[in-house]
Amino acid sequence: MSLETDTPESTGIDDIDWEEIDANAVRLDPEIFYKYVSLVLLCLLWAYDYIYRDPRLSLLDVDIPLGFTTFNLELNPGNVDYLMGLTLLAMFWWVAVPLARSPEMTKQYWREFRRNKAAVASLVFLAVILVVGLIGPLIIGRPSSDFGAMHEAPVFLGGTWEYPLGTNSRGEGIFKIVIAGMRVSMQVGLIATLIVIVLASIVGTTAAFSGGWVDEVLMRFVDLLMTFPTFFLILFLVYIYGGDLFMLIVILGITGWGGVCRLVRSEALQRTEEEYIEAAEAAGATMRYIVRRHLIPNVSNTVITAATLAIPFLILTEAVLAFLGFGDPDVWSWGRIIAEGRDDLGTAWWVATIPGIFLFATVLAFNFLGDALRDAIDPRHQIR
Amino acid sequence: MNMKWYISRRVLWAVFATFIILTFTFGLLLISPNPEASAAAFSAATEGGDPEEARERVAEIRGEDRPWHEQYVDFMVSMFTLDWGNSFTYHEPVVDTILRAYPYSVALVVPPTIAAIIAGFAIGVYSSTHQYSLGDFLGTSFAFFGLSLPNFWFAIMLMMVFSVYLGWLPVRYDTSVEFWSLEHIRYLILPWFVIWTGAIASEMRYARAETLEYVNAAWTKTARAKGLDETTLTYRHIFRPALIPLITIVIGDLVGIIFATALVVEVIFTVPGLGLISYQALVRQDTPLVLVTIMIPVFIAIIGNLLQDVAYTMLDPRISYEERDA
Amino acid sequence: MTDTEPLLQVRNLETQFHTDEGIVRAVDGVSFDVYPGETVCIVGESGSGKTVTIESITRILQMPPGEIVGGEVIFDGIDLTTASEKEIRRIRGDRISHVFQNPQGSLNPVYTVGAQIREAIQANRDVGKKAAREQAIELLDEVGIPEAGARIDDYPHEFSGGMRQRVVIAIALAGEPDLLLADEPTTALDVTIEAQIIDLLLRLQEERDMAIVFVTHDLGVVAEIADRVVVMYASKVMEQGHVHEIFDRPAHPYTRALLDCLPGPDGVTPIEGTLPNPLDHPDGCRFAARCEYAIEPCFVGEHPSLLPADGDEDHLVSCLLYRDGHDESVIDREPRRADPFAVGDDT
Ligand SMILES: Nc1ncnc2c1ncn2[C@@H]1O[C@H](COP(=O)(O)OP(=O)(O)OP(=O)(O)O)[C@@H](O)[C@H]1O
Ligand code: SF4
Ligand SMILES: [Mg+2]
Repeated sequence: MSLETDTPESTGIDDIDWEEIDANAVRLDPEIFYKYVSLVLLCLLWAYDYIYRDPRLSLLDVDIPLGFTTFNLELNPGNVDYLMGLTLLAMFWWVAVPLARSPEMTKQYWREFRRNKAAVASLVFLAVILVVGLIGPLIIGRPSSDFGAMHEAPVFLGGTWEYPLGTNSRGEGIFKIVIAGMRVSMQVGLIATLIVIVLASIVGTTAAFSGGWVDEVLMRFVDLLMTFPTFFLILFLVYIYGGDLFMLIVILGITGWGGVCRLVRSEALQRTEEEYIEAAEAAGATMRYIVRRHLIPNVSNTVITAATLAIPFLILTEAVLAFLGFGDPDVWSWGRIIAEGRDDLGTAWWVATIPGIFLFATVLAFNFLGDALRDAIDPRHQIR
Repeated sequence: MNMKWYISRRVLWAVFATFIILTFTFGLLLISPNPEASAAAFSAATEGGDPEEARERVAEIRGEDRPWHEQYVDFMVSMFTLDWGNSFTYHEPVVDTILRAYPYSVALVVPPTIAAIIAGFAIGVYSSTHQYSLGDFLGTSFAFFGLSLPNFWFAIMLMMVFSVYLGWLPVRYDTSVEFWSLEHIRYLILPWFVIWTGAIASEMRYARAETLEYVNAAWTKTARAKGLDETTLTYRHIFRPALIPLITIVIGDLVGIIFATALVVEVIFTVPGLGLISYQALVRQDTPLVLVTIMIPVFIAIIGNLLQDVAYTMLDPRISYEERDA
Repeated sequence: MTDTEPLLQVRNLETQFHTDEGIVRAVDGVSFDVYPGETVCIVGESGSGKTVTIESITRILQMPPGEIVGGEVIFDGIDLTTASEKEIRRIRGDRISHVFQNPQGSLNPVYTVGAQIREAIQANRDVGKKAAREQAIELLDEVGIPEAGARIDDYPHEFSGGMRQRVVIAIALAGEPDLLLADEPTTALDVTIEAQIIDLLLRLQEERDMAIVFVTHDLGVVAEIADRVVVMYASKVMEQGHVHEIFDRPAHPYTRALLDCLPGPDGVTPIEGTLPNPLDHPDGCRFAARCEYAIEPCFVGEHPSLLPADGDEDHLVSCLLYRDGHDESVIDREPRRADPFAVGDDT
């Protein structure tokens, strides 16, 4: 695909979508209505929860009769869970809905994407991890210690089905821990990425559009941020602010947007120099209109790709921090269980090994996915 | 642009960046709860004392009861004069602790890094000059897996196999081992291997990506038409032009990835280098030591960045790269 | 010219590219000869396969995706398509040299021009660094770079486009080749520089007695420099012959149409339509879709093979109308211009 075909008519999952939204904004498109209502509802729920709920009580605690048994559903969401909800909503409204609304474009992307078998497998794998990680802990509950079942072997090594992947030194089931870890890794990867995207887009487009000293100052700041070896910056911030999961995610988000921001800016600059934007400007379109109608759609593919490629780093960093013992002591992260398993290498090798395989596979899958996305949707990549 | 002017501007920027980062660090320390004072308060509370009092005492000892601007000036002056204070846990000047630790870090990081750069570049160039061949496929796949491999887990797996099960290599590092000895290598071999694999994958990818641009460059065709053999051609006309950007990337990479890997590796294998010192300082809340051990990679990064930019302007005969793909 | 042996014989050359979309037949059975000391011009529309032909000769084509799948290229008794890497390396630069279209990219930006010329000398002759440098200065001087001794240590970006092309020519001359393959060496340059470079090439050809294969779009240049002309279209040779025959009595309808593109008394008549897709060449004559003389048999079977036009073995044409049983006289073979050879002079 050449640069010339890369006009607003032919690029971006979102353009058709954005166009319609903009055109219909005045008449209050139902989609935009639902979009904002869903976001506002989530925020209200959070506020209610935050202000009124006694932290010892659950937000929801119901018994669901399932005929043969009753299933107890207990919801006790924390800040991270609300953020995760926000992230999933954002993914729904800004990725899933636009894809569904322009089936032609979706088909074309899918055709490109499908060619990469490893990426398709990765997508399936990650979807499973996400769903199991989100729902699994609600069903099977948190791992609990059982000192009668310490260091039990996984079922394929002669263990029992009660602990399919064996247990650790306190008799906690590795299976449950691994599933709890899926949730944490997904939360870290997706929420921090959302923060990265939001910050990078705001700063990047502002710099590109303002130009002059605003641009200079913002980009110098990004330079500075990028000079800082991120891992040590994160270590330092965790040292100061502590490593509870919410804080950790925020720290990962606000330290990691530099690279994506540079991409957004350069992409935005390149777009502003293109004729259709000049034409729109000459026709008296407002800046807001231009940014929403032309810029964001064209930049979004780049951003999505870059963000996908940033996820592995975020997940790995969280795992390393948890491994070093700077993570959240209240959640089971893959890094944390690997660290525990270190002391049992001779007696219970599965404790460190099995969660590590999941971590490795998840990171690998995100890398494959990011690579394939770049080939399928990133306009910058196709120019070459 | 005049090169002298460019370099002096670049140096000024490095100084300015240092200044900003230190100021920012100071600001963070000032406005945030001091972990160490919190710890003192906590232990006072558990022992039935007054937590507030304990907190204030710590603050007083460390001169934190003075106005912030005085503290700021003190902080900056001591930072720039390398007067970094005393470690709480080692009861000695931080500088001494650092000086004792760094040879271990150097011994740990330098050999595998050099090996990774050489091997990574070689494989990367092979990959790009044999694009779509089986070798290229294997090389790129290897790099992909290498990049995704969690280092700390890999280290533990190696340790499990080679030290615990096979018993070939020692499990823990032993400081009593003669530094310049073959025996020492037995202790270092696994840490080296982990750092090597951590670095080689990215070097390979960079080398492949950078040289790929030149594999089909018009000048490569000119060179081939001269009758050069492929080895000379690859070295002089594909690798050499890519070397300058590669050096740039590698310097940034060294600090970013290798220092982080080294920290983790030192912790896992208990090698008493800067990483382990830093880790222990974090755990024991030894703020002066934390500050310095975290600032060291930061300053190395700033200096590395500066050197890399200067090297770039001096090494590259081109004023600009624009003509390259015209 | 036919009494001497050809220096280079290209026989039924077939080169393909393996791409995601399928196999691109970029050169599909091309044959022509080059005799010592002569100039052969290859002309044809963009995409007709000229560059691929030229680069297949010394196999400097990018392979893969390119692959020579058939035919022979006989040079000095050796078939270059099957010669070993070592053999062909000895021929490159030393016996056959190239000059490329793009003087910007043809030089490596990180070495001085002196180093790059020296490299070419030392790749083919066993001389020391100092002697090679002396020779490099001589070569630069010969291709008309003023103050060659001072400029030899400059980097390519310090030269203008025309000067850079002279450096590329100096590199090509370094091995004292018998054959120079020049692929649109002047297309990227402006008109005055173009004339200078062409004069330079003609002078060098005279002094060194080399054969030149010159690829160009510019029929004016062809008229000025060519001894013989090869007209290519859609990966095939349409017509080849002595330059006077091609311009005075063009036999192939495509050649005819090309000549009509020249500004003449009737103005310019561009050829309608576009080149067929090399992924899937049409049946029959490749030019049929655009040919004003096309008849029914033109659309079926193979592309017509090259046969003598007017019974002249040196003037070959691949058009059905020159077969027995067809009436070739429908083609108006008179040139529309009074003097086609005047074209070169006013550029
Ligand atoms: N690397 C390649 N991969 C695939 N197809 C190629 C490649 N190089 C050339 N081709 C195809 O081969 C055909 C002939 O190209 P070639 O460059 O020889 O044309 P040309 O006659 O030299 O044109 P021009 O006058 O523009 O230089 C074209 O259709 C082109 O698309
Ligand atoms: S063979 Fe037929 S179509 Fe082809 S050039 Fe001759 S007349 Fe035209
Ligand atoms: Mg060409």
